[in-house]
Order: sequence, then structure tokens, then C-alpha cells
Amino acid sequence: MTVGDTLIAPQASVNPAISIRNVTQRFAPAGGADGVLALDNVSLDIAPGEFVCLLGPSGCGKSTLLNIVGGLFKPSSGEVTVAGRRVDGAPHPDEIAFVFQESTLFPWYTIIENFRIALKFQGAPKSERDDRAMEALQAVGMAGFARHYPSQLSIGMRQRVNLARGICVRTNILLMVEPFAALDEQSRMVLGEDLSILLAKTGKTIVFVTHSLAEAVFLSDRIVVMTARPGRIKTIVNVNEPHPRAPDFMLEPRFGEMRNDLFALLRDEIRQAMALQRDPLKVRA
Amino acid sequence: MSVMDTSEGVFMGMPRARAVALTRWAIVATAALALELYGRFFADPAFMQPVSAILRAWIDPVLSDARIIRALMDAVVEIAVAYALSIICGATIGIAIGVSNFARKSFLPIVLLLYAIPQVTLMPLFILIFGLGAAGKIAFGFSHGVFPVIVNVVAGMRNMNPLYLRAVQSMGGTRFDTLRHVIFPNMVPAFFVGLRLSMTLTLLGVILAELYVSTGGIGYFTRLFAENFNPAPLFALIGSLATIAILFNSLVRVAERRLTPGARAPGKLNLSGAKSR
Repeated sequence: MTVGDTLIAPQASVNPAISIRNVTQRFAPAGGADGVLALDNVSLDIAPGEFVCLLGPSGCGKSTLLNIVGGLFKPSSGEVTVAGRRVDGAPHPDEIAFVFQESTLFPWYTIIENFRIALKFQGAPKSERDDRAMEALQAVGMAGFARHYPSQLSIGMRQRVNLARGICVRTNILLMVEPFAALDEQSRMVLGEDLSILLAKTGKTIVFVTHSLAEAVFLSDRIVVMTARPGRIKTIVNVNEPHPRAPDFMLEPRFGEMRNDLFALLRDEIRQAMALQRDPLKVRA
Repeated sequence: MSVMDTSEGVFMGMPRARAVALTRWAIVATAALALELYGRFFADPAFMQPVSAILRAWIDPVLSDARIIRALMDAVVEIAVAYALSIICGATIGIAIGVSNFARKSFLPIVLLLYAIPQVTLMPLFILIFGLGAAGKIAFGFSHGVFPVIVNVVAGMRNMNPLYLRAVQSMGGTRFDTLRHVIFPNMVPAFFVGLRLSMTLTLLGVILAELYVSTGGIGYFTRLFAENFNPAPLFALIGSLATIAILFNSLVRVAERRLTPGARAPGKLNLSGAKSR
């Protein structure tokens, strides 16, 4: 498995879970200037049950794309449909759950209370909330901490719980913005393994933003490599390995090869992104 | 053992917490002893008397004179009413100002301007409007106490991790949900900072008004004792005021500990024994 297997065009799918069509995002500064082109004409179909990683240099618009898919931003142009419904800058909490980079558990509520309000916002019946919360906590091995406050847990435990909150709302789609970024490498690996096992069970569609090449290869079915600003899809890499994935996968030669290929793809983009940081107004034609 | 750690371990053969308490009392006792010696052997008895004489004066005349007890009770009621009004109005105004950017930008500068005026200069105005009785003192105490509540409520509503707001939005929470489950609980610690400041300032306002305009209250008696060169009951009376202030402040502290949600309250025990970070 090398870059030779990559697909440039979005994978065609009969009934995609998420369909991104010609999405462009321009962040206009006050005063009517041209603004920054964050995403340029991005199109991508994501099949149900697929695990897709967005990989690219900082500032390439990965998180912006995820926020648009989740309905937190309205794109400047283009459209996103989720399960046949158009997402137009409005969240669809029955379809899509977010797991954010930092733990966004509310520190004034215990873990179980945090889950209850997530379920309440989503409209889950009151009688089901506790059972669903406990089930999700059990799935990540944190059931014993339901009555703790987030501040009483380690960062790793908190991130596990954060993940479980994303799971308890039982959406078909999970959007994850660098969920393990705050963790040390070992914890990331273990949580990544757990995530792979969980996914194989639940069959969720997941879009995942990461900066870690190993994480991307270990977890993804497809890795979408993006260019430096303005964000475009540079290429898409397929990882043919069934879920759940065991840590042994990381020891296989093809794992290392894929990671190296990804780095080779990204290196120029990272240099370009760094040049843009030094000279923010320069935008590649 | 670090310098900061006073909660555990052993110090000079006793539990550290007890050593801390003992040290505190030793400081108070030393100060009292120094004042006693100064009052007894060095000071002019018309200006300063030993601590023992002050304690005697505290029992008689201060605590045995029904008029003084009455004056102290009046002060307590005035402080309590002024404080309650400060909290209710301060929180309401603070929330109204903090809830939108428009309101904050329009009103907060005006509030800060009023807060910056030394209210003592306006005291005659308060007396003119509210009279010499309890109403004037309550109004003056309120004029001191309401501002820190407003300012801290607004600050507490502003000081927000934007990720929390995005999380609520992504979970489908409404604007009201955001207020109820995120903005208000997030504001609580700042609210209590405001309450503590407000307590101190309300006390100051009421006592200032008492000292300047009182015709039969605490202010009358302090002036009476001071002008008759009778320092023992004067200090005893001031000590009584200080005690009242300490009691009010402890009340706020207990409320803070009990009402701050989550494991963020000062001094609240960590249930799991895990270190917070």
C-alpha cells in the first residue's frame, strides 16, 4: 500500500452519510477587504460507517470544514448534506455529535450531570438519560466515575469521558477535532485502540481532525490530505485494514510506509503554511 | 515538604493544622498583651486604656446599656437590608448588562463611572433625600455595595471558555439553555468575589453614615465616648462593630462554600483524593 493507491476524486457512494459539495469559506475582515480564503471548493463524500481523517498543515481549514459539516458555521458557498438533509449553518444534534479538542465537560456538573444535559439538549426522554449515560461510560471503562467532577479526573480520564459523551447521544455521525491532542503519546495510542474497537461495534461515521500521522493511519479508512491555505483536497489515501485494529497493525511494514508517504505528501504543504504564517497576505493562486 | 503546604504533616511534634491555629492565636495574644502593657504603663488614660479595661467596659456599659444594644441591632438590620438590596439589584442589573454585547457596551462604562466616584462626597445628598434615620444609612450602604456585585456579575458572564459555548451549540442547546447550564454556573465564583467585596463596602457605607449623621445610633455613642475622653467603652463599641463585620463575612464565606457548584469551591474537599489540575 503506497501512494499509488490514492484517489484524487472523491469516492463515489450511492448514499453518502455526509456529502460536501463545492464548499468555499472566506473569512471576511471588517471593512470589506477580500479576506482570507480558508477553504477553496472542497468536495467530498463520506460513506456510512466510514472513518475519515482530515490531515493537513495548521491553518489549512480542517477544523473549519468540520465546523461547517456540524452546522456551527455557514459556508460562504457550497453545500453540505447529512442523511439527505441540508446542513445550513444550523446544528443537527440528532444526527451529529462533536467531540472537541479539549475536554468540554462542564466543570460545575458531575460526569453524569454532564451527560444528562447533553441528552436533554438533544431531546432524549428523561427516563432513558441515566441508562444511556451509564452505558456510554461503561463502553469507555469509566462507569465508576459517574459522580465525580471533571476536575477530579486525570486528563486522560477526562478525554475518555468526553468521548463517551459524544457516544451517549447515539448519533450516526461523530465529528472529532483533535480529541486526543492534550494526551501523551502512550495514552493516545491506547485511546485510539479503544476508539477503533468502539467503532467496529457501533458502526458510526466518523470524521476526525488530527495532526498525528500515526493516529491517522491507525484509525482511518481514508485519509484526506489537505493543502496549505487555501485548503483544498490534495489527495486521498486509502487504508485497507478492517476495524477493530490491533496495536500489531502499527508494527507492520506497510504502516510505517504509509506514514512516511503521508509525511512526504505533507512536507511541502507544511513549508507553504509556514511561509504563509510569515506573510499572511500571500495567498497561492 | 513544600513551603506552601500547611494542610498535612507534622510540625514541632503536633499536627500541622493545629500548629497553624496555635500560631494564629499566639499572634493575637501577643498583640493584646502589648496593648495591655502600653495602656497600663505608657499611654495617657484619656486616649488609650489597657485591654482588660476595654473588656470590662464591653460588659458594662456597652453590653448592659439597652440603648447601645438597640443601636448595635439597628446597625445589623441596616447592614443586612442594604446588603440584601445590593445583592438583588446588583445581580439583576449585572445580568441585564452582561447578557448582550449591546447592553454591556452601552451601560457598563456608566456603571464604572459611578463606581469610581467617592460616595462620601455625595453623603449630604443621600441625607437630604432619605433623611437622618435608617433609610439614609441603608441607601448609603447600598450605594457602596451594589457596584461590586454588578461589575463582578458582568465580568463573570464575560469570562467564558468559548469552547463551552460551541459545545452547547453543537448539542442543540438553546440560548436559554446556554444561560442556565453554562453562563450562570460559570459566573458563580466571580459572583461570590463580588459578594465579598460588596459585604465590606456595605459595612463601610452604613458605618460611615452612622458616624456622620446618627442622632441616637452607634455614631452617637462613638462620638459621645470619644468627646468625653472615655476610650475604654469607645474601643469596646468599635470591637463590637468589628465582630459584627466578621460574622457577616463568615456568613458569605459559608454561603460561597456551600453554593459554588462543582469541585471549584474554595476549601471544598476533593472527594476522590485525586489531585485537581
